[in-house]
Amino acid sequence: MKKILALLTLSAFMAAVLAGCQPIQLGTNTAGGAEPAAAETVADAETAPVAEAAVAEEPAPEEAVSEEAAPDAAEGDYLVFTDMMDHEVRLEKPAEKVVALSAADCEILYAIGAGDLLVGRGEYCDYPAEVLDKPSVDSGAETNIEQILALEPDVLIMSSMAQTEEQVQALENAGVAVVVSDAQDIEGVYTSIRMIGMLTGHDAEAEDVVKSMQDTFAELKEDPTISGQTIYFEVSPLEWGLWTAGEGTFMDEIASILGLTNVFHDVAGWGEISEEQVLERDPDHIVTISMYFGEGPTPEEEIMSRPGWENVKAVQNKSILNLQNNELSRPAPRLAEGAQMLYDFLTGQEAEEELEPAA
Amino acid sequence: MILMKKQGRSNRTVYERFPAGFYPAAVLFTFLVFCLCVGAGSVAISPAHTIRILWSALVRTLTGSGQGLLGAVPDTASAIILSVRVPRVLCAALSGASLSLCGAVMQGLLKNPLADGSTLGVSSGASLGAALAITLGITIHGTLWSGATLMAMLTAFLSMIFILSLAYRLDRSLSTNTIILLGIIFSMFISSVISLLIIFASEKIRTYTFWTLGSLAGTNYRNVLTLLIALVICGAVLMRYAAELNAYSIGEENAANIGVNIRRVRLVILIAVSSLIGVCVSISGTIGFVGLVTPHIMRMLIGPNHKRLLPASLFGGAVFLMLTDLLSRVICNPLELPVGVITSFVGAPVFTYIFYRTRSGRE
Repeated sequence: MKKILALLTLSAFMAAVLAGCQPIQLGTNTAGGAEPAAAETVADAETAPVAEAAVAEEPAPEEAVSEEAAPDAAEGDYLVFTDMMDHEVRLEKPAEKVVALSAADCEILYAIGAGDLLVGRGEYCDYPAEVLDKPSVDSGAETNIEQILALEPDVLIMSSMAQTEEQVQALENAGVAVVVSDAQDIEGVYTSIRMIGMLTGHDAEAEDVVKSMQDTFAELKEDPTISGQTIYFEVSPLEWGLWTAGEGTFMDEIASILGLTNVFHDVAGWGEISEEQVLERDPDHIVTISMYFGEGPTPEEEIMSRPGWENVKAVQNKSILNLQNNELSRPAPRLAEGAQMLYDFLTGQEAEEELEPAA
Repeated sequence: MILMKKQGRSNRTVYERFPAGFYPAAVLFTFLVFCLCVGAGSVAISPAHTIRILWSALVRTLTGSGQGLLGAVPDTASAIILSVRVPRVLCAALSGASLSLCGAVMQGLLKNPLADGSTLGVSSGASLGAALAITLGITIHGTLWSGATLMAMLTAFLSMIFILSLAYRLDRSLSTNTIILLGIIFSMFISSVISLLIIFASEKIRTYTFWTLGSLAGTNYRNVLTLLIALVICGAVLMRYAAELNAYSIGEENAANIGVNIRRVRLVILIAVSSLIGVCVSISGTIGFVGLVTPHIMRMLIGPNHKRLLPASLFGGAVFLMLTDLLSRVICNPLELPVGVITSFVGAPVFTYIFYRTRSGRE
C-alpha cells in the first residue's frame, strides 16, 4: 500500500514538474509568434541548445548566421559595435524602446535625455523618481525573459552576464539586441555612457554628460586642504557587521581622486572587516551609506555613540557624512555629484576654521 | 540510548575516573582560553599592554577612580580591548555555554544523539521571530529584552512544540530520524521565509548570512548582560532537572515509574531550552553545531551522567565558541568570517561521525 502511495506521489510530482516546464516552452513560442519575421530564428533557438555542445568544434551554424546577417549590414545597419563584454551588437536604427535592468543604466538613460525611450526597468531602479512609473521587471538571477519580451523592446541593457547564453540567444532571436554595460571604474562609466548614447542616438548629450563628470573630477582633484587625510567608508553598520569598500570600488577611486587615503585600501572589493581594525586605523573622516528610516538615532549619531569609538579622529571631529542614495556606489553620472558632496563636506569643515569658501 | 549501551561496560570506570578537581580545572582552563581570546585578535596588542589595560580597568571599576596606575597605554588599544574584545569574548562564552547546555539537555530528553537547536529547527524558528520583529518594528522601550529577543524566544518555543508534536503524531517513539528530518524540513522552510523577508525589507534586517551562519561581531555589554541573565535563570532550571534527565535516558515510561512527572518536566525543560536558544539567536544569529558537538565531546570525557554532563557542557561550549570565534576574527585578517563557517567546519564531520556510529550500532 505504501509503495503504491509513494508511486502515486512520485507521478504526481513528475506531472507537476512537467507542467511547470510547459509554460516556458509555450512562452518562447508565443513570443516568436508575436513577431512573424522571427519565426525562422525561433526554430534555430530550439535546436541551439542541442547543438551547443558541438559549437566549439563545429562553428558552421554561427557562420551561417553571420552570412545571413551580412547582407542586412549592406542594406544599412545603423550600428555595429561590441559592448563591454566583447559581445557584438547590431542595430538597424537607433533604439526606440529600451529595457534597462540595472539602476545605473536607467540613470544614464535619463541623464542623456533618453529616459522617454525606457519601456521597462529592473526592479531596483529608483533614480530619478520618474523611473518608478515605468513597468518593472525582475532582474539579476531572477531575470525573466518572458517579462522582457512582453515589453517588446529593441534593446535590453543589463549590467553583467547574470543570464545564460541560451537566454541571451532567445532574446536576440526574438529581435531584442542585448547590450552589456559593465563599468568597473570611472573610465568604464564613461564608456557605458557613450555606448548608451550611441545606441539611442543621443551621442552629443552623452558626450556632454561625460565632459561634465570629467570637469567635476578635475576640479576636485587633490585639494591641498584635504589631501593626505584618511577616510573610512562604511557600507553596512556595526549592528549588521561592518562592511567596507576597498580597492577596486568607486568609493576607493573617488577617495584617491580627492587625494584622500582609504584606510581599507588593502581590502579587495567589498568586505566584512573587524571593528578593531577601524579603531586601530583611526580614520580622519567616515562616510556611511546606511539608510535612515526616521526612527531612532541617525547613522551619524549611531556611529558617534558606539562604545570605544570616542577616540577615533572622525568621531572626535564629528566628521561623519551619510550618503544614502547610492551616489558613491552606482556606476552612473551621479558619481560626480557624490564626489562633489563629499568634497563640500570635507572642505566645508575646514572652511569653518580657515574661512575658506567651499568650492 | 544506543550510544550509551555500547559504552555501557566502560561507563562505570568513566564515573569513577571523574576527577575531584574537575571544576577548578574547568574554571581555570576556561579562564585561560578567555585570556587568550582577549589577548589575540585582528590588531596585535602585546600581552603586557593587555594585562595593564585590564588591570587598570579592574582597578577603576573597583575603586571608582584611580586611572592609569600601571603606566600609560594608548587609548586605541584600551578601546579595542575593553569595548570590542572583552564584550565579544564574553558573548561568545555565554552563547557557547547556553547552546551547549541546551544541546546536552535536548539530547538527554529526547534520547536522541543528534538533537540540538539547529537540527531541531528551533534556532531557525527563533531567527524567524527575530527577523519578523525587526521587520515589523516591534520594539519594547526601556527594557533589556528587545522586541526581537522576546519574539525569538516565543517563536523558538512555538516551533519546538510544533516539530515535537508533529513528530510525536508520526512516530510515538520520537525516533532520531523522524525528528531530524522534520527539523531539517522546517529549517529549510523557515530559511526561505527569511529570504522572502529580506527581499521585502532588505534595508532593515540583517543579511541572510547572519541568520544562517551567525556572527558575534558588534556585540556589547548589554548583550552580555542579557545573555548572562538568561543563562543564569534557564541554566538553573535545567540543572535542577539533571536527575530527571538521567531517568529519561532509561525511557520515558521507566522515568514515570520511578516518580518523574514526565509531562511537567518535559514542558518546563522545553520552555527553558527554547527561551535560552531564542536569546542566543537574537544576539548572535544561528550558530550551528555548538550544541551538538560539545555535549558529545564532554560525554566522551566524563560520561553520560547529566549531573556532571550539564555543567561540563557549559564550560565546553564556552571554550569551543570562544576559540572558534577567535579563528573567525583572525583567520582572514582584516576581514571577518561568520563564526558559523568555523563551527560548521568542525561540527559537520563530528555530526557525520555520530550519525554513522548510531546507524551502524543499530544494524
